[in-house]
Amino acid sequence: MHLHDDELIDLAESVRSEVSAPHLQSCAACRGKLADLRATLASVEAVDVPEPSPLFWDHFSRRLHDAVAAEAPGRTGRAWLPWLLPAAAAASLLLFVVAPGVWRSMGRPAAPIALAPTAPVPPAREMLGELTDPSLTLVADLSDGAGWEAAHEAGLSPRGSAEHAVTHLSEPELRELQRLLQAELAHASD
Amino acid sequence: MASSLEWTLSTSWWTQRAGVSAVAPPSERMTDADADAAALAELTETALVDACLAGRAGAFDLIVERHRRRIYQLCYRFVGNHEDASDLSQDVFLRVFRGLRSFRGRSSLATWLYRIGVNVCLNRISASTTRDKATASVDDQPLTDDRCESASDLVLRKERAAHVRAAIARLPRKQRATLILRTYHEMTHQEIADVLGTSVGAVKANFFHALGNLKKLLGEM
Repeated sequence: MHLHDDELIDLAESVRSEVSAPHLQSCAACRGKLADLRATLASVEAVDVPEPSPLFWDHFSRRLHDAVAAEAPGRTGRAWLPWLLPAAAAASLLLFVVAPGVWRSMGRPAAPIALAPTAPVPPAREMLGELTDPSLTLVADLSDGAGWEAAHEAGLSPRGSAEHAVTHLSEPELRELQRLLQAELAHASD
Repeated sequence: MASSLEWTLSTSWWTQRAGVSAVAPPSERMTDADADAAALAELTETALVDACLAGRAGAFDLIVERHRRRIYQLCYRFVGNHEDASDLSQDVFLRVFRGLRSFRGRSSLATWLYRIGVNVCLNRISASTTRDKATASVDDQPLTDDRCESASDLVLRKERAAHVRAAIARLPRKQRATLILRTYHEMTHQEIADVLGTSVGAVKANFFHALGNLKKLLGEM
């Protein structure tokens, strides 16, 4: 019974002594394998890693320190993570409330734009299709059927806010907004 | 301003506690930064990781200082040149920094660092198909102190080293990693098994086959 691979490795590395493997005395094949392993091991061990200049370590540490500082908590993505969900929810709700009016007004460029919808607004979920973000899905479900009045009552567009300004535009301002949005969409589709 | 106030307070507190009547001369005075560095140096590795996570300045620098040489050598063994080894080492430590929260202390910090290091190196050598500098010519190898060797011995030694590096670079990934960790980093079979996520038996088998394959490859060269 020849020596197993792991036994030969232990012998080659002198983890165990040859005395503990009497088979070696009688088996030239195993002795040959062991000699080969030892010779290869010796040639591998002879290869060293050149030591870099002492200045390299200072430079390395400084470079790494700077790279780590650039990822420090205040500057990483994590810092704004707590704000992301509420901001996304507010933005989504605003989108669902404001988008139908703006969208419909763009579909009829010649007609005067009315703030109040003249036709039933499709549910927000249908307008946006499949949502992958569960938080957005929740917001979409909650805002389905909610109108501008509901959003206003919820305090999402207090007087003086950007939302309030957009949804309370005068007729010339609405026309200008319409023109700008159409120009932007045409630019985007190019 | 705030830091100078803190320094004043802590110094006066220390003076009061120690019963020192006169303030020590500036050369003997220990600043807060020095004291903090000394305190960090006393910490165990797990505590040092906690200090990093708590945002203590210098804690991560100390981790880097303690392990940078071994990680650099590990990377050098995989890629065979200083430039890539330096880049890879930096990459390893950046990943360590990003992943500190996932360090649970079940293995030693060194083992965890090696695990990340081996993964980074194996990913790099998988990605680099054309740019394998491990087989670089003798002339490309960095200079070491060879003053006690004759010119011909030096050339021969470098040629042999280049051949061995090239042969190691051709080994399968796990055999290569096992050989490097066992031979050059003197890790135990169990430590290698922890790093590679395998068993001690598999480590020994990989090592055995690595040496066998290496013998064949060196014979072909």
